[in-house]
Amino acid sequence: MAEDVLLSDDLLSQLMSVGEVDLLVGMSSHSAANTVRQALDAIEASFQRNFVRQRVVIVNVGGGDKDEDGVVAQGPGNLAEKVRLPGITSLRTSHRVTANVSSPSSPGIALRTILAAADLLRARACAVVSPAASNLTPDSVANLLRPIYREKFDFVAPLYSRNKYQGLLARNLLYPMSRALFGCGIRELFSDEWGFSGRLAALCLNQDVWHEEAIQARPEAWMGISAISSDFRCCQAFLGEKSQATKGLGTDIVEVLRQTVGTLFWCLEARQSWWLDCERSQPVPTFGPAHELTSDPTDLDRPRIFDMFRSGVTELEPILSSILDPETHSEIKSIVSLEEGKFRFKSDLWVRTLYDFAASYHHAVINRDHLVQALAPLYRGMTYSFLVEHSDSSTAEMEAASEMLCGEFELQKPYLMERWKAKVEVKS
Amino acid sequence: MRLQKDNLWYKDAVIYQLHVRTFCDSNADGIGDFAGLTQRLDYLEELGITAIWLLPFYPSPLRDDGYDIADYTSVHASYGSLEDFKTFLAEAHRRGLRIIIELVLNHTSDQHPWFKEARSSRENPRRDWYVWSETDTGYQGVPIVFVDTETSNWAWDPISKSYYWHRFFSHQPDLNFDNPAVFEAVWDVMKFWLNLGVDGFRLDAVAYLVEREGTLCENLPETHAIIRELRKRLDLAYPGAMLLAEANQWPSDVRAYFGDGDEFHAAFHFPLMPRMFMAVKLEDRKPIIEILDQTPEIPDSCQWFIFLRNHDELTLEMVTDVERDYMYDEYAIDKTMRINRGIRRRLAPMMDNDRRRIELLNGLLMSMPGTPIVYYGDEIGMGDNIYLGDRNGVRTPMQWNSALNAGFSWADPERLYAPVISNAVYGYQAVNADSQKRSEHSLLRWMRSLLQVRNAFQVFSRGTIQFFNPSNHRVLAYMRQFGEETVLVVNNLSSSAQAVELDVQRYKGYIPIEMFGRNLFPRFGNSPYLLTLGPYQFYWFQLRRI
Repeated sequence: MAEDVLLSDDLLSQLMSVGEVDLLVGMSSHSAANTVRQALDAIEASFQRNFVRQRVVIVNVGGGDKDEDGVVAQGPGNLAEKVRLPGITSLRTSHRVTANVSSPSSPGIALRTILAAADLLRARACAVVSPAASNLTPDSVANLLRPIYREKFDFVAPLYSRNKYQGLLARNLLYPMSRALFGCGIRELFSDEWGFSGRLAALCLNQDVWHEEAIQARPEAWMGISAISSDFRCCQAFLGEKSQATKGLGTDIVEVLRQTVGTLFWCLEARQSWWLDCERSQPVPTFGPAHELTSDPTDLDRPRIFDMFRSGVTELEPILSSILDPETHSEIKSIVSLEEGKFRFKSDLWVRTLYDFAASYHHAVINRDHLVQALAPLYRGMTYSFLVEHSDSSTAEMEAASEMLCGEFELQKPYLMERWKAKVEVKS
Repeated sequence: MRLQKDNLWYKDAVIYQLHVRTFCDSNADGIGDFAGLTQRLDYLEELGITAIWLLPFYPSPLRDDGYDIADYTSVHASYGSLEDFKTFLAEAHRRGLRIIIELVLNHTSDQHPWFKEARSSRENPRRDWYVWSETDTGYQGVPIVFVDTETSNWAWDPISKSYYWHRFFSHQPDLNFDNPAVFEAVWDVMKFWLNLGVDGFRLDAVAYLVEREGTLCENLPETHAIIRELRKRLDLAYPGAMLLAEANQWPSDVRAYFGDGDEFHAAFHFPLMPRMFMAVKLEDRKPIIEILDQTPEIPDSCQWFIFLRNHDELTLEMVTDVERDYMYDEYAIDKTMRINRGIRRRLAPMMDNDRRRIELLNGLLMSMPGTPIVYYGDEIGMGDNIYLGDRNGVRTPMQWNSALNAGFSWADPERLYAPVISNAVYGYQAVNADSQKRSEHSLLRWMRSLLQVRNAFQVFSRGTIQFFNPSNHRVLAYMRQFGEETVLVVNNLSSSAQAVELDVQRYKGYIPIEMFGRNLFPRFGNSPYLLTLGPYQFYWFQLRRI
């Protein structure tokens, strides 16, 4: 077998048995042996409850772990029997396909395998779910598939009910920036659950991008942006509560930024012809309730976040000077010196900072990976400011603030475009 | 007489179901008759069927296509005389064809002399031959069968001013089997026909013979006791005669009608039929395997009778709501095609006249465990007329040739009991027996060869079945085995070409011989056996160890 062949003979043989399908749900069971059964039950139950007539398949991309794959490989006569709902029986055979991918695997490899399966099986509607997500339910699976299968959408992003301190990266950076630049108000472009059409799967599968680090890390965002920038029909579907635990803003934020912001910047680069011409953002159709916030208390360590901001900016002074516009850099240096109680990271400065980073990424003024990592202390500063400002805010007030931030990103878009198009002499 | 002496003849039979009225009219009155049917026996013998099941031919007001019997021991004048029937019976037997007749025990017509007497006065000796009540409140909760036309199982009799029980149409009062005199009268009827030489009875609506308060009045122990007594008398006096149960129930419920081999010899497997149609439309073997998995074992002397279509609607009683909706959407999107809980269409139109699917379904029918029934006209792919009302659309005149009235009758077309099918696709000019006899590749000729192969091997009628579980769900494969006969059947249920690998390790060393062309295929080895099948294609392989 040639080295660049994606699908193994074993997988191909399984796909041959499945044949054409209407619905495909993919997942990666890497390191998820404990929850994979629960995920399979939810998917099977969703099929039985919502899609009794449709031809369906579950594609699991695993690492050859016997425990994980053994569960997935159990035929419909075994596991499916156990989850059979009273009075409801799917008319058709329910298939499970396991694709063993040698370690180290990545979301990109898993998605590419799922897309290849979807393309070969001519799936009309697909979803990717995470077996690690404890909020996965039959309804959430159906909510991802239904807009594609019944309403002819091509991309379905999830919407969640979240604690107001969860998803701050999406709230303060990923959502407003992607909305302003790509003109599409999708809140959760970066998520491990989403839906897509067979048409979109085929388009993405045939892109020569799969070797890119950004795609390997967060392929879903690239897929969403590809859908937006190729005029596919996009929507959002409410999936219920997001079960992800509140993460602290410690060292792992660097890795998260590398994956998310790195991918977003890479997409800006790849899709510049689209977003440079995109004028205003448009709302997207939403199925189910709109985005919900809850007000549970949080245990984020604010003083530590502020300390990390100040020390980081100081340590990265030379790097930031090469990334940021001098005026932006100067303003940041001035707020670093403020006392904790008086510190505010204003939204116009935050937006300009990010646009400076994006432009510098484009011009590759320094190593792009280092560049994205340098954003971490600034993001911490913004987060600290947000937590202080909204410690007593209602969910409605937070939504209003979020909308204002989106407006700021849109307002300053010409600034980014100007810097993007400027000729820059790269320092060696 | 060429009939073989074999008391289990019904297990190896291939049955042809017809109504005398529909088959051939010998006297140009527009209605088929026994003399006409007798003239067409050569056609049936050539087809390869071994038994004929006649729909009711008794005197009747014909408000339910003859299932409303007004005289149990005679022939409806339109169909000829009792002498004509005797001639027909003798000629059929001479050709080795057995005859099964219909008998409706549960009820009579309200025109039957028994009911006329019973309703004439409350003191009449036959009053208690039917089920009467002063009110219409008894047996609450018992389902109504003909939901499209009936609102109650009780009907008011204005003559005797009381209510009578009817499980079917209100003009069909139920007999009271709690009265021993009714049982004896029914047994006399059966003896009458057995003495003439008929080979078996298809007993209609047997689940409903007895009524008891607080039950659904179906499948009651008292009903089984009546059947056991009939069977006992039959075996003693007429060994080899067969009883076939019409009980539209789940196999587990029908199982009781076989008893310990001391009730019915055979019963219809109703739920299998819609699932064969479903499997082909879904392109998935699941429905067939599921229902056969739920089918209980039956005594050795007993047999399931299986069919694709018959004179009634394609009944969807024995399916789930989800399955019924699917069948309606896929096979009867036009609501005119629906009646009661079923679909009033023939096989060929349901298959969109797709020869490959018609052949596949017939292949399934002939290779599944059980005795297959071919409904008249389906062997040539006759169409239907859904605008005729009730279920008459699948009861149109047999299409013999392209002459006047499809060769069915020399009467004026206006006089026919029903118009012949005359549309461009299924009309008698395009679809008829004579033209198909002449064409080597016609459906009729193909059916003949199918039956020829089937009749040459007892494994199809008596063998065990074991399903393969290949990963390709579009392929339904099973092994039939009986004594030294082993047959592998592989069906592609889908509209596209399929590959399948079968685990035949248990049969290592066997040579598969394709049974229609007698061609040898590669010998089974250790590896999974790879077969490729075209759209809706099927294989029958005889396995030989040489």
